[in-house]
Amino acid sequence: MSYVLVVAEVRRGIFEERNLDSIGLCTLLGKDAILLIPEGDYGINEQLVNGLVRVKTEETLFLNPLNMVNILEKIMAARGKPDMIVFTNSASGIELASYAAGYFNLPVITDVNGYDKERGIFFKSYYSDKIFGEFRPSGEGTFIITVRSGSFKENAAEKGSAPPAEAIEDVAANTARTFVEYVEEEKTDVDITKAEFLLSLGRGIGNKDEIPDYEELAGLLKAVISGSRPVIDKLWLPKARQVGTSGKTVKPKVYLAMGISGAFQHIAGMKDSSCIIAVNKDPEAPIFQYAHYGIIADIHKVRDALKGILKG
Amino acid sequence: MNLIVFTKRVPATQEEELRITDEGKAVDLSKVPFKVNDWDNYSIEEAVRVVEKSGGAVTAVSVGDAESDEVLRRSIAMGAKDGFLIETGDVLHDPNARATLMQNFLKKENVPFDAIFTGVQSEDDQFGAVGGILAAKLGLPFVSMVIGIDAYESDHLIVRRELEGGLQERVKVMLPCVLSIQTGINEPRYVSIMGVRKASKVERKVFKAADYQENVVNKIEAVKWVYPPKKAGATILSGELDGMCKELLGILKEKGVYQ
Repeated sequence: MSYVLVVAEVRRGIFEERNLDSIGLCTLLGKDAILLIPEGDYGINEQLVNGLVRVKTEETLFLNPLNMVNILEKIMAARGKPDMIVFTNSASGIELASYAAGYFNLPVITDVNGYDKERGIFFKSYYSDKIFGEFRPSGEGTFIITVRSGSFKENAAEKGSAPPAEAIEDVAANTARTFVEYVEEEKTDVDITKAEFLLSLGRGIGNKDEIPDYEELAGLLKAVISGSRPVIDKLWLPKARQVGTSGKTVKPKVYLAMGISGAFQHIAGMKDSSCIIAVNKDPEAPIFQYAHYGIIADIHKVRDALKGILKG
Repeated sequence: MNLIVFTKRVPATQEEELRITDEGKAVDLSKVPFKVNDWDNYSIEEAVRVVEKSGGAVTAVSVGDAESDEVLRRSIAMGAKDGFLIETGDVLHDPNARATLMQNFLKKENVPFDAIFTGVQSEDDQFGAVGGILAAKLGLPFVSMVIGIDAYESDHLIVRRELEGGLQERVKVMLPCVLSIQTGINEPRYVSIMGVRKASKVERKVFKAADYQENVVNKIEAVKWVYPPKKAGATILSGELDGMCKELLGILKEKGVYQ
């Protein structure tokens, strides 16, 4: 029977919400979704899928690509090859998907954010999200997809009955890569997730020497400073100030983004802010698609003009 | 340790207006400046730091056209010993095709290594899949999103990989292995024009991609390029700078975050 295998992303007992996007894509394709998940109480809504395969293994072993390929091998031997294997487009999802693609010699399209059913086309973003590429597997047979979070979850729908579940026994753990421990971020005095007003800085500020002037502006506005990944990577601001998937998810009353172009990973961390204001000199910057208000201008000039007005 | 680092020359599209041409068949990059892929810059830096402590050498390898020599010179200026170009005019959108080409090259040229570093992803295609595919094809363990190398022993590494929301995972990985390096793992050293000029005196070897084509096939097809669908978008403020700024302050007052 034709089916799609959805590899669940679970982390520290949590069934990640972005798994719903993987399930939603199956609904859109009109395919039966079989959810692959480690044994454990994840409190999932089983009616969203057509079947479950529970692997009797620990979560950290399940998320290890060297073990995942053995699990997939077992399933394919038992059920036959799936039409498609879907992973989340996350740190672990892409790691698992790419390794499985190499191991089984299968086509892979990552970061898929749309699907055209009539043409059998998957959309993925290119060039700082300014262009979408239309992709499809070249031949017949199983292919691998990773799904951008937020893209398909509306399509996930309950089937009305509890699906059949089966279990597969543990597979021998690979020793070439082993989990040691989780490392939590250091606690700091500033919690940007609690701020009502964030002044967030991006690559566009140019260099570190500009930071004090923005801090002064933040002081005048009584805003808290945060930043996007490039600013954190360059050590211009501490890690605790990072907004985005690998940093913090924030929902302030006002998110004032200066010099942030709006990479998807950043947008995912701030899109639920009540009011987003973007200042950027590039009118094509993706952030203007998500902002409520925009100013197309040199950010330093806007900063200096604001300071001028505020200082009266 | 002997390390191979793959580095790629990419268009810097962040602040450029891109135009689709040829009825969706191409994207015009002729006016876009090119640079080293950000992730690869961190990978080279990390590799150089490892050999500075442990001994050994870094070999930078780039798949691309003749212009990609630029990122090899840059790698040498940062501390790589050798620069190899696998020259091809093909764009290689499919990460499977790219990884297979790399695998064939490493096998045929018998380049010795203890570990291979790739960037987590390339800025242009944002696939993030080459490292994982290459590792599986070579039968080596793989760790992606590496944000720290905590220890290196003769037979294994202890690395940290970045997950979501500030969480990291510490992993032990046996050598030889493939690591995909995340941005922010280090602070890449500054490369001066003089440094690159000096590096250009070090010979870079050029190999022809045509010699490593076994099983290099496109498993996926790039059908067409399109512009992303437009959302409602922002209300763009207009007028003089001072006027826009006053309007901005008005919005902040209205939203109750500024008095």
